[in-house]
Amino acid sequence: MEHLKELISRFSCAYVEDYKKIWIKAKLNSKDDLLDVAKALQTEGLRSLSTVSPTDFAEDGIMEINYFFEDLDTKRNLWLKVDLPRDEAVCEIESLTPLFASANWHEREAYSMFGVRFLHHPDLRDIIKSEDFRDKYPFRVDFDWDAHEKETVANVQQIVDAFKKEQSENEVDLESDSSETILNWGPTHPASGPIRLRVHCDGEEIISIDPDIGYVWRALEHLVTKKDFIGAIVAVERLCFMDNINSMVGYAMAVEEIAGVTITPFASWMRVLLGETARISSHFMGMGVFFNNMGLHTLAMWNMDTREFFLDFLESYSGARIATAAIEPGGVRYGLDMRMFDELQKALDKFDANIDEVEAIFVKNPTMRMRAAEVGRLSADEIHMFGLSGIVARASGVKTDIRIDEPYAAYDKLDLEYITQERGSARDRFVMIFEELKSSVAIIKKAKQHIEEAVANGEMNPTKDHMVKVPKKLPKGEAISRVEWARGEVLMHLVTQEKAKSPYRLKMRAPSFNHTMMLDYLLRGQTLSDIPLIFGSLYVCQGDLDR
Amino acid sequence: MIVIDILQKTIRVAKALFTKSPATKDIRFESMHHPARYRGEHRIDYETCIGCDSCNKICPTHAITMKHLPLKKQNIVPEVNLSICIFCGLCEDVCPTKPKKSIMLSGGRYDMLSGGWHEDQNDFWVHVDIPQSYIDARLEEEEAARVKKELAAKKKAAEAEAKKRAEAGEVPKEIQTGMPDFNKGVEE
Repeated sequence: MEHLKELISRFSCAYVEDYKKIWIKAKLNSKDDLLDVAKALQTEGLRSLSTVSPTDFAEDGIMEINYFFEDLDTKRNLWLKVDLPRDEAVCEIESLTPLFASANWHEREAYSMFGVRFLHHPDLRDIIKSEDFRDKYPFRVDFDWDAHEKETVANVQQIVDAFKKEQSENEVDLESDSSETILNWGPTHPASGPIRLRVHCDGEEIISIDPDIGYVWRALEHLVTKKDFIGAIVAVERLCFMDNINSMVGYAMAVEEIAGVTITPFASWMRVLLGETARISSHFMGMGVFFNNMGLHTLAMWNMDTREFFLDFLESYSGARIATAAIEPGGVRYGLDMRMFDELQKALDKFDANIDEVEAIFVKNPTMRMRAAEVGRLSADEIHMFGLSGIVARASGVKTDIRIDEPYAAYDKLDLEYITQERGSARDRFVMIFEELKSSVAIIKKAKQHIEEAVANGEMNPTKDHMVKVPKKLPKGEAISRVEWARGEVLMHLVTQEKAKSPYRLKMRAPSFNHTMMLDYLLRGQTLSDIPLIFGSLYVCQGDLDR
Repeated sequence: MIVIDILQKTIRVAKALFTKSPATKDIRFESMHHPARYRGEHRIDYETCIGCDSCNKICPTHAITMKHLPLKKQNIVPEVNLSICIFCGLCEDVCPTKPKKSIMLSGGRYDMLSGGWHEDQNDFWVHVDIPQSYIDARLEEEEAARVKKELAAKKKAAEAEAKKRAEAGEVPKEIQTGMPDFNKGVEE
């Protein structure tokens, strides 16, 4: 850690300081140093770039770019800032994509949303946002949404024509003597969800894949800035409905850090309990989707059956099955009626009764084990290079789990161990989800037991301890928080202004973004039949892909 | 052989008539799981609502509009557009009335978007139907309160002035003109 700090200090920095336990926060004076710093970091071992997050300070005329470098092995992380001029003509910086492959889409996103141009980026095109936003940068604070809407309505025919033209010219540019074609996989493919893959293929063989994303873009990062700190949870939880609790936990932690609030032990244990329940509900879906994509729908049906019992608990606790809105800054939103644990127990019993059968029939399924054993293999080096996280990273044997690396809520009081697989193939990722499902249930059991004991001892009051008051107006500040989401690492970067009633900027780094980036890399040279299988094994959710 | 086969099958089918069905609940009319906190359709109590506008302010999707009443105080009451509402329940959280919240989702109807044809957009609104008699009663109350307050203010002002005049040794204005001063004390 000291070595890293020293390394950064060699460059001209406004400040270099420790931040939390495993972060160093630094600000570069000049953007010209960026490439040299990045090279030095890479040799130092910080091989993953988690995300690139611009913050638009319109009043100062500054576009501040935040880079989050991570080392998944030694858990040393660097938060690097650089100021750029805000003016669109000169808002440019050297691209890090040649050094960090994971920067590719993140830089494209920063370009699409904020108009930051990354020099020497291999493929700087718009991503996520739709055609009608061409040459407009919607997340800049002075962007006029109303005017844009009027303009779009007026020019809707033009936009439709442009799209149709693109479709009709799909194959025009290709060489006439080759048999290369472009195939649209999705958004109506049964396995795709709202995503379109432009598959360049020669017969069965895939030449390259260009994912077209943004079908469910809701501009959540912009929406939260229009809501107050509590109302923002409904936007944050819509990152993905499958595991909505943990995304709210991440956001709440960032707000609490700025407000300087510490939550009660009861609330932190409840966050573990609810978070793991949501993780289970997500993993059930993920396992089901994997088998669905292979053409076997039974597992999804079985999983839905068990999942329903866990959702019943969430519904009893919060009043809604899916969009629970159950975590607020300051703790958890509701007190707990201890009778609700009976329902959780019912779910756990149901899980225990069924899980062996699921393992015998599906996890040890010989057909699946043969079919998925060799496809979509990722080595540990590739995990570092592309900044992958969650089950995808752990399936390749990389020991990374934010619950252990940077414990939040009450995870530091639990003895957790890294669960990993070795080979990193599609099969290992499926087995990984299954193993994590079992570990989540074990965590729930521990958390439940702990809460029950503490309530019996009188250490916790389940009806009163759930909330600590968080002031409505927050001071100026910024914070980052990371949570281990069902699909990987979610990094929230929250910026507030003086006496803020709503977030000034909230960057949500979502794991599916990186995982979808891998499709092109993994599928080149494979056959068309591998697309659903690999896509399903990467455990992508379009909700957090587009945001 | 055929006869025995038919007989066997008949008996097998007939058995079903005497077995108890594993399904015990008709979920068309009763939900399988209906917890007390279930966030369903809003119930709005216009009598306890103080018209503070908090629910409208916190609503993340702007589903709440405030209906104006021809009253002076507590002159707004929330109405909810259910086609925009995301049932997050924040309006219930911020509602300050005690002990019962004036706007409540928890324990609300679970079947709100099923059944019926919903031909009218108004079917997706939680409207507050306030009987005219209630408004009249409230108006009367307000009028009575206003008159009472006005009288009290007038009396107070008159007393104060009388005191002032008495100190200065002046003759009151009413006595000079023979008319009461109607503008006095109205500003309050």
